[in-house]
Amino acid sequence: MKLINKHIAKDHSGHVTLRPEEDEDMWHLYNLIQEGDLVRAPAIRRVTNVSSTGSTDSQRLRLNLTLTASKMHFSPAAAPSSGTAGTSTSTGASQGASLSISGPVQSQHANVTMGAYHTLDLEPHRDVRIIKEEWDSVSLDRVAESCKEGRGADVGAIVCGEGTAAVCLLSEHMTVIRQRIDVPIPRKRTGSATMHEKGLARFYETIYASLLRHIPFSSLRVVIIASPGFVKDSVYDHIFAEATRTGNKALLQARNKFLRVHISSPHVHSLVEALKSPEASITAQLKETKFAREGIMLDRFFKMLGSDEMRAWYGPEDVLLAADRGAIGTLLISDELFRASDPAVRKKYVQLVESVQGKGAEVLTFSSMHESGQQLNQITGIAAILTFPLDVDIVKAEEAAHKAALEEEQAAAEEEQ
Amino acid sequence: MAALGLQDNEMRVPEPESPKIAISKEKLMGEVRRTIEKEALEGIKSLSIVVIGHVDAGKSTLMGHLLYALGRVGDKKRIANERASEKLGKASFSWAWELDGTQEERERGVTMDVAIQSFTTPHRRFTVLDAPGHRDFIPKMISGASQADCALLVVDAAAGEFEAGFDRGGQTREHLVLVRSLGVSQVVVAINKMDQVSWSRQRYEEIMGLLQTFLMQTGFAVQRIQFVPVGAMLGVNLVDTNQPEAEALRKWYSGPTLADLLDVLTPPPRLIESPMRLPLTNVFRGQTSVASGIAVSGRLSSGIIQVGERVSVLPGDETAVIKIIEVEEESVPWAAAGSSVTLYLSGIDPVQLGIGTVLCPPSDPVPLASSFVAQIVVFDIQVPIIAGASVELFHHSRDIPATVTKLLATVERSNGTVIKANPRVLTKSVSAKIQINIRTSTMSGQAARAMPIPLEPFHVSKELGRILLRRNGETIAAGIVLEVLD
Repeated sequence: MKLINKHIAKDHSGHVTLRPEEDEDMWHLYNLIQEGDLVRAPAIRRVTNVSSTGSTDSQRLRLNLTLTASKMHFSPAAAPSSGTAGTSTSTGASQGASLSISGPVQSQHANVTMGAYHTLDLEPHRDVRIIKEEWDSVSLDRVAESCKEGRGADVGAIVCGEGTAAVCLLSEHMTVIRQRIDVPIPRKRTGSATMHEKGLARFYETIYASLLRHIPFSSLRVVIIASPGFVKDSVYDHIFAEATRTGNKALLQARNKFLRVHISSPHVHSLVEALKSPEASITAQLKETKFAREGIMLDRFFKMLGSDEMRAWYGPEDVLLAADRGAIGTLLISDELFRASDPAVRKKYVQLVESVQGKGAEVLTFSSMHESGQQLNQITGIAAILTFPLDVDIVKAEEAAHKAALEEEQAAAEEEQ
Repeated sequence: MAALGLQDNEMRVPEPESPKIAISKEKLMGEVRRTIEKEALEGIKSLSIVVIGHVDAGKSTLMGHLLYALGRVGDKKRIANERASEKLGKASFSWAWELDGTQEERERGVTMDVAIQSFTTPHRRFTVLDAPGHRDFIPKMISGASQADCALLVVDAAAGEFEAGFDRGGQTREHLVLVRSLGVSQVVVAINKMDQVSWSRQRYEEIMGLLQTFLMQTGFAVQRIQFVPVGAMLGVNLVDTNQPEAEALRKWYSGPTLADLLDVLTPPPRLIESPMRLPLTNVFRGQTSVASGIAVSGRLSSGIIQVGERVSVLPGDETAVIKIIEVEEESVPWAAAGSSVTLYLSGIDPVQLGIGTVLCPPSDPVPLASSFVAQIVVFDIQVPIIAGASVELFHHSRDIPATVTKLLATVERSNGTVIKANPRVLTKSVSAKIQINIRTSTMSGQAARAMPIPLEPFHVSKELGRILLRRNGETIAAGIVLEVLD
């Protein structure tokens, strides 16, 4: 994304103009724009004119419209799902992610009445201006992050098991499943394994075709083939046997980008496991990427939960309590919480993040478009690793006893800030 | 005219040609009972057995050799396997090749999927499920174990090998816990590769002691555990100990052989009166002229079926008609609970069928669930289970991602009384009531509706009410379905 223009006043109100360039930028915009914000972007609107004789004439006009966002819909470029069986090759729309924002028009315009509803379909390479009454630190961080240069840590991944595969593309903030493959493979039977082998061959062919279609391997950093058992090796061997047979030079040149990683189950959620797996050089090549850090941190949280339950807290109330006591060492928070439609709720989390950061602790905002973020969402979307052990029950009991006192303390803390 | 023509057409739309149902349900039930009684009089019983154990314990080799020793595999086949395995430089795997049929299994020398075979001893007819031992193929092993009445555990007696399988993270341990959780209560332990420890009685007793304690902890009754020393490669003590290599063993062992022990296993009671349930383990296309079309196989967990019957296919809204029933490659008019069958179906699109699909009577369908309450026993885990934990749910041959959405209560294992409501975490070896939801992938855009799976509460059907939870390649809990919510 490119930052075209930014004007933020002392009272944090103001506007930012951005030019989205790729799929991921749509995701950033989706997270930046909140209900109630003003959005200005080019739009195409059908305008009907009635002439004096009563004949109507409608035109499609390209206009710049400003509207109050009231509803947003984000859809990544993905194949939602596939049938239960059958050589399903359902593919998503070929275009990338899309974000549409609807709401009443707020700008005066010759052809559009004020207050008329419109739906903006944001397009790449078209500037969009976001006007907010308050730009908080989380939003500004996101703007800064989304405009960083050269953050494209693009990785392709094929997570597979016998007969099933998910072909994914990972970028810094998004995991997109481009295709789910589900090829029925008859199991071996007494005396004959030919049907099993035929099924397998068909499965490998489907993966190869999908790889060519969905994974731009020449522009990616790494392509991960992950599976339990030996499927990953067979798939890898098949891909390069096919590439050699058909003389696909581009693919053969990309050979060193392919990594085989062992995971314990063929489901997409094993991606987290694949990304943090030490067995490949993944960690060296991808250590700095967001999804690898998220995976590692989530893993550390779960491990902490196992080894020292009192230092791993989750759930909004609990984490807020821990923050009050200055116990948080690392805060794991999902971007979904900031997307709350109630501004007060969002403010609560923004303040939490700011206070935790102010105490020098680490804050990791998980993207819910990644598997790790999904898993964090399932455990309420917020978790913390504490610097010293605290017993939830004791803290809660103390809380109840000293509620009044604590409220004062909180007020004092807020004043300090 | 047009209307007439249309009507004509409508009338001609035939029901998929179905073979006539031979006899009524009541009559059939009578016949099934008479057959079972007759077999009981003769002392012949059929049951299924799953072969389990750590990777490279010699499960497939033992089974392959046993099949040969019992005359199920001819010399011609044996010699062919020996030659071919030698060519690949894997001569030691020649016995296993009888069960490891696929090219990949043979090249790698590892069983990757359950092989189904059958053999008979004087008083028993066995369906044997040779499970893979490698930890990555535990889903396949679970699929096999959920079709079994009893288990044959194979352990490697060689120094260090037994310990590798029996230590934490070894499959000897995990397999035993799994089969017990899936309702298997009888186990025969074959202590294999005794030749590598020069038939040492001391080693045999050491292993026996260790396993006995663990088996009892796991919940096997002491009188339902049997031990036997064997040498699978040499064929020692499978059906006899007449081999020259077995001299050292004969000196101290005069107990039953493996075949003797198998011959006295008792099958559990068969639920022939309950509604028919058939969870599928395989779907394929029949290729012979008699048996063509869509074929499915699985083990009938309850009820009876007959040729010509219409069955519901769940999940889904389709029905199919049974054309042919095959049991042990013989066409039969009917089959009853407990038998492993292959059915040829008509009137159904194969897209509707998959591994994990359940066939049942249209009048008495299995409920579909995407959310349910289960009572679980948590195993020896490092990372506790919290609300929202992602797990893999195993139910028969099905393996799907799920989420533990709520921890309802920790309970007393024996009587189910609540110890603590809404616990924060579940740590190792507690029993708890939890809510499980089948997971949907919201990552790829719109939250697709979770695909419900056929499940029944445990009090309705024991067979379809058992579940297993795994995470990161480790079995974390086993349980039973208490209530189907949605």
